[in-house]
Amino acid sequence: MSDKKRRSEPRTGSPSSEADASERLLQAEGADMPQRTRSRRRRRKSVAPPETGPRSALKHPVATAGDADIAARIRELEERLDRMISEHAREHEAEADGERPAPMAPTGPSALPVTTTPAEPAGVLGAGGDLVAPDFYVRKWGRLGLRSRSEEVDEFGYDPVYEEKVLPVFEFLYEKYFRVQTHRIERIPSDGRCLLVANHSGTLPLDGIMLRLAVRNAHPRHRNLRWLVEDAIFHFPFLGSFANRLGAVRACQENAERLLDHDALVAVFPEGMKGIGKLFRDRYKLQRFGRGGFVKLLLRTRTPVVPVAIVGGEEASPTIARVEYLSRAFGLSFLPFTPTFPFLGPLGLLPAPTKWKIYFGDPIHFESHGVEAADDEVLVGRLAERVRGEIQTMLNHALAERRSVWLG
Amino acid sequence: MTRAGLDPSDIRPPDPTASRAAAEASSTDGKPGQLPLAGRPGVDDKPGLGRVQSGTRVVAVTGAAGFLGCNLIGSLEEDDRIARVVALDVSPASTAGRKTRLYDVDLTHPTAESRIAEIFTAERVDTIAHLAFLASPTHASAWAHELESVGTMHVTIAARHAQVRKFVLWSQTSLYGAHPSNPNFLTEKHPLRAPKSEPYFGDKIEAEEQARKLLLRSPSAIVTILRTAPILGPTVHNAVTRYLAHKLVPTAMGYDPLVQFLHEVDAIAALHLAVLRDVRGTFNVVGDGVLPLSTVIKLAGRVAVPIPHPIAETIAALGWVAQLVDVPPSFLKYLRFMCVADGQRAREAMGFRPAYTSREALLDFISAQRLRDVKLLSETPA
Repeated sequence: MSDKKRRSEPRTGSPSSEADASERLLQAEGADMPQRTRSRRRRRKSVAPPETGPRSALKHPVATAGDADIAARIRELEERLDRMISEHAREHEAEADGERPAPMAPTGPSALPVTTTPAEPAGVLGAGGDLVAPDFYVRKWGRLGLRSRSEEVDEFGYDPVYEEKVLPVFEFLYEKYFRVQTHRIERIPSDGRCLLVANHSGTLPLDGIMLRLAVRNAHPRHRNLRWLVEDAIFHFPFLGSFANRLGAVRACQENAERLLDHDALVAVFPEGMKGIGKLFRDRYKLQRFGRGGFVKLLLRTRTPVVPVAIVGGEEASPTIARVEYLSRAFGLSFLPFTPTFPFLGPLGLLPAPTKWKIYFGDPIHFESHGVEAADDEVLVGRLAERVRGEIQTMLNHALAERRSVWLG
Repeated sequence: MTRAGLDPSDIRPPDPTASRAAAEASSTDGKPGQLPLAGRPGVDDKPGLGRVQSGTRVVAVTGAAGFLGCNLIGSLEEDDRIARVVALDVSPASTAGRKTRLYDVDLTHPTAESRIAEIFTAERVDTIAHLAFLASPTHASAWAHELESVGTMHVTIAARHAQVRKFVLWSQTSLYGAHPSNPNFLTEKHPLRAPKSEPYFGDKIEAEEQARKLLLRSPSAIVTILRTAPILGPTVHNAVTRYLAHKLVPTAMGYDPLVQFLHEVDAIAALHLAVLRDVRGTFNVVGDGVLPLSTVIKLAGRVAVPIPHPIAETIAALGWVAQLVDVPPSFLKYLRFMCVADGQRAREAMGFRPAYTSREALLDFISAQRLRDVKLLSETPA
């Protein structure tokens, strides 16, 4: 009984182990040890912490002797580590030699049979042995995988490095494919919190990322737009985490409130899944605006709202039919049928090259209603209806102006 | 590297020379391990004694031989405001020093309650840090239930008997559960939605309920619940460190949730802070920042093995029944959905500021794990 407990929460602080870190970590000098080891072992810019030696010496003048002592120990440990790693690598090569003769062997020295000289000190041959050790590839793989992403994402999961990598695809869609045009984008305030409310469309909802790019490219302040996506997208395999790294946030009151409290620019599509799933014959007919959650949000956080009408998205991937009874098996609320999907497989998800136009309306301020108004369901419903009407009017105007689906 | 996020007025920097000096200074004052120094006149009245302040606090630590208990005792040993530490566990805490009194108490024993109450009364305990919880799931669920749920009941009832002023409970943010409907940051107001059918979570949720019941029965008591994020660090061992210790790390295909960690030093500092400061209520104790799970695995130098989650769940269920895997299938939810908590309240009400971000905690764990990988750092002999 006691044995089991000890196994699950092993005791620490045994005097025998070399890096008895728990005890040392609790001491000021000891806390430096893993840090320093790390900064030498990992050559990544962001990792290397500032040299802490002088600072800790200032704080604890008595500690310098201990510091040097620890530094010496670290050096000794690292030497041992290097030796062990090279030995380890050589062992592995010895095992692997028979089955796969030098899998990569890109350089001369590495192709040499290292096994013949087992007592060789780690030198050029040791480095060659590295190439054969599986650990080496694991580490390399980890590095390669990290090259296209930053080590840190923001608190909602947006990864700027990753976005930079995939942006060309979306820039192509934005510039060349949909030829997105924005109208009166300067109506978005240059700073402070603001909520964009837009109509939703598309089998694969590209309007969020297109709106993000529009604000980024065309707005004078190039603001960073975060858009909220419904659960069905956010928890859809691959798609959800992909959108999350690009700046999408799961749509819920808490997240939106937190974003607006940080004075962010947030876009919502209150139609939600109903907007994505509406049929081609219902295009640009705004669906029910959820339960008015976005109005409650606006009232609580005292945020101005900018209505947005996106024209062109509906024709890009028109939904002809919606199958609901089969789609449960896939964890979806419905399975859309477009002229190309699912008949052409995943290729059928490619949108048609329609001309997109994004219209921005005048900011609407609800601040005069006060924070308590969020509990007034009648008022919330009325305000939601007002925003919805505004967007519908903008859509109708835009559609009346439009001459061609393809050319605008 | 900044030191642990504590107000220096609260916890002295654990400078070994200073603490030794303090220990010597106080040992000249009175017999070690005897009644608190402040009990004698003349000691407490002199503010000019320098840093050596005689404490009056008596802190009981359950689960004293566990990772948190052991390190908390070490940290309390160096705190002058603490007169004595009463360590309760089935095996002695290795950090026990001059101030600590060890008691061999088995919380799963039927008579534990009266025994603990006796100890609390005799030692005049004023604060209990209840840390006797398992850090990773076990197949011995009946025993775990006795230890965690029933054990907490024993301790809380004993606390009421002995009229203990303060009760600090260790809990975990994983009890919120990983759900698709979780917001990015869970606050203390959110209900604990981890599957209660899973003993690992169910027992801990029950333990929290016991603590709340204690508050209900004796409203004057100060009940502090600390929900820690998954703890990582060079020496700690739990379900997460075990997960990341594998060369091949299973993940849910197509899912990449955000995760957060807490450094072990911060966890101990938070417990210490909760012992010192009288703050009521529940607090999430988390490191700053979040990381995608895939980045965590890449940073750790592991290879992710994406498995479609229905298959993974089947394998895990079979493996768990056959006792081939250490982790029950309900844990797989944490590979798909977020369970990230907001540490704002602990920052504001308790003044806790973590010294390590989630990423730094992970990197610190990794640097130690690398040594373990090549057998340079041996495990503590059990």
